[in-house]
Amino acid sequence: MTHQTGIGTVKGPGETPHEYTFIAPDPERRVKHGEFVYYAAVVDGVEKEILGRVTGREPVRIFPDSFMADPAVPPDTVAALLGYDSDARELFQITVTVLGFYDEILKDFVNPRVPPAGGAPVFIAEDKMLTSVLSRGRKGERGSAYIGDLLSRGPGAVPVALNVKGFTSTHLAIIASTGSGKSYLAGVLLEELMMPYNRAAVLIIDPHGEYDTLQQMQNLPEFREGNYKPGVRIFRPDDLRVRISSLTLGDLRYLLPNLSEKMHYQLGRAYTFAQRTWGEDKYTLEQLKQAVRETAEGKRGAEEEFEDDPTTGALIWRLGASLGGGKIFNDFENLELAELFRPGMATIVQLNEVDRREQQVIAATLLRRVYQARVDTEKGKASRGDRNFVPFPVFCLLEEAHNYAPANADAVSSEVLKTILSEGRKFGVSVGLISQRPGKLDSDVLSQCMTQCIMRITNPIDQNRIAESVESVGRDLLMELPSLSKGQVIVTGASVNTPVMLKVRTRYTEHGGQDIDAPELWRKWFEGKGLAEQRDGALFAEKKLNRDEDGELWA
Amino acid sequence: MTTAIGKIVKSNTHIDYVCQVYGPGELVIQPLPTDYAFGEFVAIELSGNGGSSGALIGVIYNTLLLNPEFGSLGPRLSPRGEQEIFTPDYLSETATLVGIVALGWQEIGGSFRQGVPGLAADVDAPVRRLNDDELCAFHLDGAGRLSLRYASVLMGMNNPLVPQLLLTLIDRLVTLFPEQSRQLQVMRNNVAWKSIVQPAG
Repeated sequence: MTHQTGIGTVKGPGETPHEYTFIAPDPERRVKHGEFVYYAAVVDGVEKEILGRVTGREPVRIFPDSFMADPAVPPDTVAALLGYDSDARELFQITVTVLGFYDEILKDFVNPRVPPAGGAPVFIAEDKMLTSVLSRGRKGERGSAYIGDLLSRGPGAVPVALNVKGFTSTHLAIIASTGSGKSYLAGVLLEELMMPYNRAAVLIIDPHGEYDTLQQMQNLPEFREGNYKPGVRIFRPDDLRVRISSLTLGDLRYLLPNLSEKMHYQLGRAYTFAQRTWGEDKYTLEQLKQAVRETAEGKRGAEEEFEDDPTTGALIWRLGASLGGGKIFNDFENLELAELFRPGMATIVQLNEVDRREQQVIAATLLRRVYQARVDTEKGKASRGDRNFVPFPVFCLLEEAHNYAPANADAVSSEVLKTILSEGRKFGVSVGLISQRPGKLDSDVLSQCMTQCIMRITNPIDQNRIAESVESVGRDLLMELPSLSKGQVIVTGASVNTPVMLKVRTRYTEHGGQDIDAPELWRKWFEGKGLAEQRDGALFAEKKLNRDEDGELWA
Repeated sequence: MTTAIGKIVKSNTHIDYVCQVYGPGELVIQPLPTDYAFGEFVAIELSGNGGSSGALIGVIYNTLLLNPEFGSLGPRLSPRGEQEIFTPDYLSETATLVGIVALGWQEIGGSFRQGVPGLAADVDAPVRRLNDDELCAFHLDGAGRLSLRYASVLMGMNNPLVPQLLLTLIDRLVTLFPEQSRQLQVMRNNVAWKSIVQPAG
C-alpha cells in the first residue's frame, strides 16, 4: 500500500481508549478541527488504514509571548534576529478520535481497539478515500441524497450523500437556530428526493409557506430523465379540506375550547353515538350536533327543547364555533390520500394563516390517515380502489416540528407522531422533523430520529437537549455547534457512516425562506409610485390650518 | 593527512581532557588556529604495551590561553625582543590550551565506537586533528547509519557552550551526510529552539 507523505507522527494514546495524539508542525494549517486522518496498522494480518477525526489541537512549541510585544514585528523575525532562522517554528499536539477501518462487508467502521505505535506516521485522508467511506450513498446514485461537501475540504472535493433508505425508514431531524439555513437544507433534501434516481412520495407540512419555490423543479432539466419529471402540488390554506367525520374524539376534544368534565363525557358519548348511527367517517356536523342532543343527560323526549341543558347547549355552541365557521372543516370534502401521495410528487400543505390548534389537528389527521392507510395496505386490508390504499412508502416533512410535538405541552399531533416514529418503519411511513428549538421539542420524538442534521445552535438549553437526545453526536462535535456558519451542518446517524461536518450544496431551485429586506423595500416605496399615490390619495384639508406662535398646527 | 595539534597535559574527568597546543619551535609544521578551532574533532593517541592501543576520539569544546606574565605589571629587566635570547624558557610558559571531551574511541583495528571510552589517555598523549574520512567513519554505526550517540554525553555536561557546540557539529555533519540532512535538521531545530528562542523568552 503506498502512502503520501505523513502530516505528523504518533505521540501516544490519548485520554480515552479511543483517542490518540500526534505531533505535527503543520505549517500549511491542513490539520483542521474535524479533519480526517489515518495511520496504517496491521489488523488480522492485513494492513488497514485506521481513520480518525481530529478533535483537538494544542501548541507544544510556540514563540514566547515576549516575542510578540510589537504587533508590527512578527515573532519569527525576532527569532531570526537571535539566530533561529529555521522554518520549523511551531509544533502542535493533535488529538484524534479513532473511527476505525472501513469494513466493506459490515459497511461500517470497525475500531481496532489498539492504539497506534508511537512514532507511526499519520496521514491526511485522501479525498477519494473519504468519498468512499464517509457517506452511505454516492452522489447521483439511486437511493442517495447528495446534500453537500465535506467542510474541511475544498468545494466538491468530498461530496457527502446520505443514504435515503436510512432516513426514510428511521426518520430524520433537522435542528438549527433561525437563519442558519435549515429550510435551505430541507429544500436540498427535497430536491434530492425528487431527483430521477429517487422519485419519492413526499408530503411537506409548511406552516410558513416557504416551500412553494420547489415548483421550479418541474421545469428544471436536472430533474428530468426520460418521461420522468417531478410533480409538485401545493395546497394553500384555502384548498385544505378536512372532513369532520374523519376527526377522532381526541381531535374534537382538542379543537373545542375549555371543555368541562361533563362536556368531555357527553362529547365522548355523542361521538360514539354518531359513529354507531351513521357509520364511521360518514356523518356531518349537523348530525354530530344531533348526536350531542341525543346523548344529553336526562333526555326526556324528542319533542322537548334540550338546549336548555347548559352542557348540551355549550357543546353544540362550541362545535358550531370551532368547526362550522371555517372552510377547512367540512361535511363532505376531504383531501384524498391519492391526491396527496404519489411517487415522484412532492405535496406541499401550506398552513400559514391557519390557527395553531387547527394546524396541529390538520397535521395529526393527515399523518394518522396516511399511517393507517399504509398499515391497511401492508396488511392487505386495503386494496386497489380503496380510499386508503397507498401501495408505496411515504416521507412526511414537518416544519416547526416543536409545534406538533411540544416538550411540555399536550398536542393532538404528538401521539400520532410518536406512533409513526416508533412503528412507521415497518409500514414505510417516515417523518422528517425540522425545528429551531430542540429544547421545546419532545425528547422522545427527537431521540427517535436516527438521522440528525444539526446546524448552528447557540442556545445552551437547545444544546443540552441535543446532547441528551442524539447519542451519536460526540462532545467534540457539540462544541462545534455555536461556531458553525450559515449553511454548515453536522450530519450524524443512520444515513452516514460517521458524523460529518459539511457545507450544504447550492439549491437548484430558489430559496423561498428568505427574510424580507425592509430598508430596500422602504427605499423602493419612495422611488416607485408609493409616495405619489399617497399624495394623490391624501384628503383635502377641510379647514384652513393656522400656526400658533410655537409653530404648531391647529385647526 | 593528519595534523598534530598538541599533547594532553591534564584531565578534569574521565572524558574531559586539556590539551596544550604545540607552540613555536616544537614542530616543523606549526598547527594552524583552524586546526584546533571550536568544534574540531581530534584523536588522542593511546599508548599500550610497546605500541598503539588505538585512540580516544573527542571534540574541542573550549580554549584557554595561559599567560604567566598576565598581572605582572612591574618593570621588565629586558625588553620582549631580547627575551627570546636571554630567557626563552620564560616565553615558553605562555601556551594555548584546548578542552577536549572524549566522545568515543578508535579500536586497534581502526573501527570507531561512540560512547564513553573505557581507557583513559596518558599525560603527553599526542593529539591530532581528525580528517573528513575519519570523521565520517566515526559517525557511522555498525549498520552504516548516521549515529550521534554521544549527544547525550555532551548535553549532560552542563556547559553553556554545549548547545552552540552541537549546532556547529550538526552543521558540519549536514555537509558530510547530505542524505541525512532532514534528521539532522530536526535535531538542529530542537537544539536551536531550546538554546536560542526559549531562553530569550
